[in-house]
Amino acid sequence: MLRASVSSPRFAAMWLASFALIASPWAAADETCNSPYIGNLIKGQEDYVYVWTLGIKGLGDGSDKLVTIDANPASKTYGKVVHKASVGRRGEAHHMGLTDDRRFLWAGGLDDSRIYVFDIAKDPAKPRLVKTIADLPAKTGYVGPHTFYALPGRVLVQGLSNSKDGGGVTGMALYNNQGKLIATYPMPTEGGGDGYGYDIAINPQKNVLLTSSFAGKKNYMMNLGKLVKDAEAMKHFGNTMVLWDLKAMKPTKIFSVPGAPLEIRWSLNQGDNWAVTASALTSKLWLIKQDASGEWQAQSVADIGDASKIPLPVDISIRADGKGLWVNTFMDGKTHYFDLSNPEKPVQTFEKVTGKQVNMISQSWDGERVYVASSLLANWDKTGADNEQFVRAFKWDGKELAPAFEVDFLKEKLGRAHHMKLGSKALKTAFEDGSERSPLAAQ
Amino acid sequence: MKFVLVVVLLAGLGAGSPGVVKGDELGFVPPAPGSYALQHILRAPEGEVLDMSSQPRRLSRFTTGKITLLSLIYTSCSDGSGCPLASHLLRQLRQRADADEKLRARLRFVTFSFDPDNDTPEAMRAYAQGFLSDGKGPPWHFLTTRSRRELVPVLRGFGQDVWVSANGSDEKAGRLPHLLKAFLIDRNGWIREIYTTSFFQPQMVLNDMTTLLLEEVRGGG
Repeated sequence: MLRASVSSPRFAAMWLASFALIASPWAAADETCNSPYIGNLIKGQEDYVYVWTLGIKGLGDGSDKLVTIDANPASKTYGKVVHKASVGRRGEAHHMGLTDDRRFLWAGGLDDSRIYVFDIAKDPAKPRLVKTIADLPAKTGYVGPHTFYALPGRVLVQGLSNSKDGGGVTGMALYNNQGKLIATYPMPTEGGGDGYGYDIAINPQKNVLLTSSFAGKKNYMMNLGKLVKDAEAMKHFGNTMVLWDLKAMKPTKIFSVPGAPLEIRWSLNQGDNWAVTASALTSKLWLIKQDASGEWQAQSVADIGDASKIPLPVDISIRADGKGLWVNTFMDGKTHYFDLSNPEKPVQTFEKVTGKQVNMISQSWDGERVYVASSLLANWDKTGADNEQFVRAFKWDGKELAPAFEVDFLKEKLGRAHHMKLGSKALKTAFEDGSERSPLAAQ
Repeated sequence: MKFVLVVVLLAGLGAGSPGVVKGDELGFVPPAPGSYALQHILRAPEGEVLDMSSQPRRLSRFTTGKITLLSLIYTSCSDGSGCPLASHLLRQLRQRADADEKLRARLRFVTFSFDPDNDTPEAMRAYAQGFLSDGKGPPWHFLTTRSRRELVPVLRGFGQDVWVSANGSDEKAGRLPHLLKAFLIDRNGWIREIYTTSFFQPQMVLNDMTTLLLEEVRGGG
């Protein structure tokens, strides 16, 4: 099944009637962490893991590339790389995001600020680069396209920095799905705002958009060892989150969230009114939630590991039912699981070292499969023997992460494994095969 | 003159008007109509379509000159969160717009099929009967195409996805799984908002329609 739907006419009629009264359905989100506007959910077994990979000079073709890994245990090539789509240069490949129709995957480079658009619908196993947007800095003044967040027919892109001084003051750029720039939205610099950006997460049910804040290009392109010794540079990290009126795209409240709040995840449960984030430098989980009067508040609700050791929490992944949260900490290579049954009091119930360095984490809709990738930033990754580069797949039974497969990105001459998205053979576009036969007639 | 019209329109947004925001309906208080901008997302595509009388028409005839809410469906769709929901919402919006003289005169609704094999003009006429029986509200057109050759460029132009499941027919998702989409188009043929399931809130659509109406009066758009 491609998405949530109503199976019986009787139930459908009841549902329509209730819709007329409620009129604000909360559509199920993508595989737990993506925009709720993405329509085609992979609720069963995924076929592919797409990995946006940083090229390493002298390794393979040395270029950034989108790597396809076969993730279906029933396949003969399970756990193997089945395709590589190189972009022919290195630009600090980082994050990517699906368009609302799941036909295209947008992927960005934090160094060269290029945005690559891959077609993943025509042949889901073999993404094809169909468009490159190279003028983000020239047209907007923003650099470092980080988050790509689907809106209906559009993609909202969060910048990390600016072309003027390479600092953290930045904004969001809105493109239509065809790649045309529509509008820009500067991050607020007044009323407590620091102007920084990082992640985007929307709750349509509440007409709110949340943004977080990280650092400018001068910091994220600096060697990590050098950076942490640079007292002045260390002052330039984001310390805020911003609540926006989604329809108006205007900031309505600025929260003080010290220590670079990164990925934001809304609970996907119908009626829930809260989101979580992890602050990288202060190693805390934060809850953004409406209080009894309906006012939005941000509060620190849990420590992640030993904050004094700066474990550096990075990516987080929320369960589809909102009851649990995975958190990776880069420095100690640990994958943590928090019970979120009470989001105001998360409790860590599991942790495991899953690599010498771990950054991104993604899970299947049913939560039974968990994927971990190694790379943070080219100049922040560890060196020598600690510079493992991999995607590791695990099975999760609620008690233990059991290894399923691993792809060694250095051995395969691929590069640094960063952001992951899931793909499915079933998500193949109709009307694309060139024949005159109707897809309905075929059925 | 424009100022007078703005005043009249704003006055029309008082209690009892369909433009009035009801926070308890939405679960939040949306911004007031006219207080925000709807972006020019992309131009509505051109193409050749068939109306319910089997007459060939240019699609732009139905996407310019008025504020248009257009949804793409196929009549045999059984997905309760897809086509039936879209048509239900268009009917609800048409009824609510009918209560507002200013909106009624400036709106149209369009239901457009992406199943030309089965949704002939006759089939669209039969489908329309269930929605036009009360005879009230802004005009509502039910369109199809002669063949896939005419359909595909229009679908691509709107960015409407239609999928084929690898497993063939999916009873729950319908025979042609797709993401519910409706398009709000200004009188100049620009798509200004796109509604999907999680974004298709009647009050928000009415607010957006009123925002476009106010923009017209103010000379924008």
